[in-house]
Amino acid sequence: MLQPVSVGLKFGFLIVLYLFLLWVAASSLFDLRRGLGGRGRGQVPAGEPTGIHQTVDPLALLEGDFEPRLVVDHALGHDPGVAYDLMEPVTLGRGSVELRLEDPFASTRHAMITRQGRTVVIEDLGSTNGTYLNGEPLTGPQPLHDGDQIRIGDSQFTYYQ
Amino acid sequence: MRARNWELFGLVPAALLVSAGFAAIYIQRSNQLSTVSLVYGGVFLGLCLAGHIFIRITLPHADPFIFPLVAVLACFGVVMVYRIDGATLARQQAQWFVLGLVLFAGTVLIFRDYRKLENYRYLIMIGSVLLLLLPRVPHVGVSTGGAYLAIHLPGITFQPTEIAKVGLVIFLASYLRDHRQALASGRRILGYAIPPLKHLGPLLVLWGAAMLALIVIKDIGSSLMFYGALLAILYVATDRISFVIVGLLLFAGGAWYLGTHIQHIDARVLDWLHPFSPKLYNDPLGSYQLANAQFAMAAGGLFGQGFGQSLLVVPGTHNLFIPVPSTDMIYAIITSELGLFGAAGLLLVYLLFVARGFKAAMLARDSFSKLLAVGLSSVFGLQVFVIVGGVTRVIPLTGVPLPFVSYGGSSILANFVLVALMLLVSDRARRPTIQPLRNMEMVP
Repeated sequence: MLQPVSVGLKFGFLIVLYLFLLWVAASSLFDLRRGLGGRGRGQVPAGEPTGIHQTVDPLALLEGDFEPRLVVDHALGHDPGVAYDLMEPVTLGRGSVELRLEDPFASTRHAMITRQGRTVVIEDLGSTNGTYLNGEPLTGPQPLHDGDQIRIGDSQFTYYQ
Repeated sequence: MRARNWELFGLVPAALLVSAGFAAIYIQRSNQLSTVSLVYGGVFLGLCLAGHIFIRITLPHADPFIFPLVAVLACFGVVMVYRIDGATLARQQAQWFVLGLVLFAGTVLIFRDYRKLENYRYLIMIGSVLLLLLPRVPHVGVSTGGAYLAIHLPGITFQPTEIAKVGLVIFLASYLRDHRQALASGRRILGYAIPPLKHLGPLLVLWGAAMLALIVIKDIGSSLMFYGALLAILYVATDRISFVIVGLLLFAGGAWYLGTHIQHIDARVLDWLHPFSPKLYNDPLGSYQLANAQFAMAAGGLFGQGFGQSLLVVPGTHNLFIPVPSTDMIYAIITSELGLFGAAGLLLVYLLFVARGFKAAMLARDSFSKLLAVGLSSVFGLQVFVIVGGVTRVIPLTGVPLPFVSYGGSSILANFVLVALMLLVSDRARRPTIQPLRNMEMVP
């Protein structure tokens, strides 16, 4: 008499199991689509690996619309679109510097970006493979302008202010 | 909070599964329905709820599916252990789950910033290697079927490989995070970039250690697991498939040599190739277990014989039809009772678990987290492959536990630590970024 109940429970078990699996799989797929579509819609993830210091000079912020920042176009270990604050001096390189590049062509201390008032200056620190500003190798300190492109090895950044 | 509500919803099927399973087995045992099964289901749901509330408080952004998937695996485990070994072992298994949850909570609380594990990476590596070698120490190690996998301390038997698995993945993720660039570059010789020996050295040492462990522990299953995880992390770290190909060739060479020179592995290879040969079938270390597992799985058919219906004891004797049914061979019993659909469902649970792990790795923002999540998912998936592949005769059988399903305390505890680390990575990765100051995208 209990045989049908037993069989029913077995199929019930299987049905619940597969409904659960379907639910997880469908949600994962939805998650994946949303993840792909979400990129570039302003949801910029913060770049944690470099652990770059965040302190913004409060006096400088009062100066008005001046927000010098370096945005990642493509760089190993950094998500595209992430912006790094340039209010404080930033050194780029492979060593333990503020903006760490995981780029085989970068030197330990590759280049430095400093702010002097409302002027931001980039300087190559004697790197092996050089720093390129808008496609041209840097020779000495150069002021940066909005939209300038900086390339180090395979990593590319754009400067905005 | 939406993620956590999904997680809560996902626990309902787990509770239903455990109730249905226990009810079916109870009917089979005493031929009457009983409310006991509902009590079991309730207790199980209570445990899951406790875990869920803990996650809700401490890891609000973690992946919502990992915990329900673990709960479903645990439900398979508790039901099947109850079915095979009766109430006493099932209660012990449930107690291990409680302990596992406590350890899970401890791991989450202590390693909230799991990146501080990196500071202890060499300590962790040495500890893991010692744990791997421990079963070989006389009077402490126990040999089961020729492989040295467990240690015996007064009152407790312990499988150190399970703990070592998590430790080694942490070490590899941390080590390769620092050296991946150096490994990916290197001088080109004959069109193939050879990484500098300085950086390749430690990896060659690891390969040697895997081979040595294979000889010393005589266990091809766990070494395949560790080595596979190493290759997976290496591949993700350097993006070079050549490492994987060379690594696999090296492993195949080593395994071939050992397979033809070590008696125990050799016997297992023979069992794998000819399980139905009468001579091997009647051997003491022969293919009896493996061949009977094939018969049991075949008896399952598409939808299985039903809970409590598969043959456990040879009729008329006290001999087990399949030796060690609740640990190594539990997959064969599951297939026998729930059929192809049940077994495939179980594998899909594992698959989705690994997929969620890779998803967490994709979302993670720093290299260590990425490599850690990849390594943990791979080692977990490979463990399932090693044991299920062994039982279904895809590869020679080695007895590693089926994670969260097989009976065994150390396996459950270690896997809860693994899940805790995975949820920690996932929580950090999915945490929404701090809102930019004005409309500027700034690092928090």
